Amino acid sequence: MYNDKESQKIVDIIQNFARKHSLFVLAYGTGCGAIEIPPTMTSRYDAERFGIRGAATPRQADVLLITGYLATKTLKRVIRVYEQMQDPKYVMGFGSCAINGGMYWDSYNTINMLDKYIPVDVYINGCMPRPEAVIAGFVKLQKLIQEGKADGWDRYKKNLDEYRANQKKIITNWVMPDFNR
Amino acid sequence: MEGIGYKILGALLTTLLAFTVGMFYAGFRRKIIARIQNRVGPPVYQNFLDVLKLLSKKTSVNHGIMQHLAPLWLITMSVSTLMFIPVLKDGLFFTNLNFSGDLIFLLYIMVFGPLGMALGAGQTGNPNSAIGVSRGLTQMVGFEIPWIMAIVALMIQYKTTSVTGLLDIQSQNGTWMMFSSPLAFIAALLAMPGMFRYAPFDIVGAPAELASGPISEFGGKYLSTMMTSGSIFAFVKLTLYVDLFMGGASNLIELVIKTFALYMYPVLWGAVSPRFRTEQAVRYFWGWPLFFGFAALIYAAF
Amino acid sequence: MSENILHNEQKLLNLLEKKFLLKESRIIRAKRVEVKVEPKEVIPVLLYAKENSGYIHFAHMSCVDWIEDGEFEVVYILWHPEEKINLFVKTRVPRDNGSLPNIDFIWRQANTYEREIREMFGLRFEGLEGRKEFILEDWNNIPPMRRDFDTEAYVKEVFFHRLGREDAKDVREKIQERTDEELPDFAKKYSRD
Repeated sequence: MYNDKESQKIVDIIQNFARKHSLFVLAYGTGCGAIEIPPTMTSRYDAERFGIRGAATPRQADVLLITGYLATKTLKRVIRVYEQMQDPKYVMGFGSCAINGGMYWDSYNTINMLDKYIPVDVYINGCMPRPEAVIAGFVKLQKLIQEGKADGWDRYKKNLDEYRANQKKIITNWVMPDFNR
Repeated sequence: MEGIGYKILGALLTTLLAFTVGMFYAGFRRKIIARIQNRVGPPVYQNFLDVLKLLSKKTSVNHGIMQHLAPLWLITMSVSTLMFIPVLKDGLFFTNLNFSGDLIFLLYIMVFGPLGMALGAGQTGNPNSAIGVSRGLTQMVGFEIPWIMAIVALMIQYKTTSVTGLLDIQSQNGTWMMFSSPLAFIAALLAMPGMFRYAPFDIVGAPAELASGPISEFGGKYLSTMMTSGSIFAFVKLTLYVDLFMGGASNLIELVIKTFALYMYPVLWGAVSPRFRTEQAVRYFWGWPLFFGFAALIYAAF
Repeated sequence: MSENILHNEQKLLNLLEKKFLLKESRIIRAKRVEVKVEPKEVIPVLLYAKENSGYIHFAHMSCVDWIEDGEFEVVYILWHPEEKINLFVKTRVPRDNGSLPNIDFIWRQANTYEREIREMFGLRFEGLEGRKEFILEDWNNIPPMRRDFDTEAYVKEVFFHRLGREDAKDVREKIQERTDEELPDFAKKYSRD
């Protein structure tokens, strides 16, 4: 009865439906994207109608928003926050800085490709994306969750060595707690 | 009629009812606050989806045994308090253990949950949790005093400590206690928002300053258990207020109308209020609520 | 006429010139006065400006790398709140083994600027306290604001680069193809077609 494929499929549909409609968001406010989150959440654009709600701690959060450029120093904190979050977890990268470095592409302390260090499910382009674009990104994420394609957390566990190698290339002095798979 | 089967069925049914009603009330609260802020707001059943999603999350956090037990303490407290409160005045399924406990026992058991929560939060080692716990206990000292004074005034005035006894007196006299002993009602009402911990008394789990306080290390199944327990306990508190001051309810529709009307009071107050600081909250509770509590005691004694 | 306007500026310059051995001094324009001093004169000039002339506000402190001359130029910017004049005190030290006196006993906030300059340029301040590591974490290259630090080579070596824009071609057609995807329902209402 357990672990047979048909019943697992039904469970997956129910789980994905619940996950899709209830996204607890942890906004890691780096860069200019931090200021796009309040209008997205409050009266004007009202993300709560999609079930999106702020979470104050990584333990309760489902979605990690990387809102802008990441300095090498912040990357360390982001990795810790990401590893503290509980599965299943999703990451959204905001703006061109997270995608390819943006205007900081040749800075000595700003990373260029976020998805080399932590798995990203949805990128929102723009500099900075407006709240409409942020909501469009959330809708895209919901679609991916429904189809079961938002599997960044799974990829992170499977390719942990690869991600670790990339992370350690930047964070030379690695003093971090172990990732509890 | 008095078989053990009916008892168990009744207990399960009561818990289910409390859970459903509490969850829907929380959903209505989110919807109402959204409408006040000129938003559309989440659907009313949003909290059920949240609980379902939290249950489907994996958990790999271990801080120690108390951390795993804390949500269980909370839900044990909620359900056992529910068992001792007469949900309806009479009826087959909702009697449970009404006649076995009295108000003093209720006052004790209602503190049991927060105590477990404090121990669990202490073991997580998160500094925010420790601050949240100390704030919560301070606030409890604030609102428990006028609330206990109101209850003691009722006990003295009607010479009974039983909730069912008070219910009977109300139906015999044909008037509600909010009219027959108004001072106690005012004191209890003023202490009520502190018990619900909505704004302006949400100093325990203030998300902006404390990262949700005592529950900051609890996610997934723990959080869903806490949400369940919180919704059951909201129903318990509302039902207790209705039983004590508004003459109880003889059917479910009456119960829902009365509790919902009472629930709107902390919700609407909270929707338009910013957050108090801890000492402001305590100063509030030791002001007018305490005055009305004293007045009620004097009124009851003489 | 112009003398009248620049009266306060001229007064300050005269005072400083009389009191100290200045390498160079001029009025840049109204409200801007610049003096260049030797490193050992920095503390006396700053103290004099603060205590006797009313330049009580320490506005900024920055460093310029003149790699051609082999020198760092450090600029202290002071502000007179009543006369509303900026005083620029500039000094030059050799790039290798140069050092400046620490001035955080005059203005406490100078400590932050000095630590930043120490970290970003590798310039030494005598008797400067505070942790060695200030903004950079685990940096084991030459200080990044020095002009002999090749940022682009460093970036190419350490970070990844997303492929696609090396040729700098017009990508508008490609973007148009990508936006032909179906819009979400709520966005259809607002789309142009």
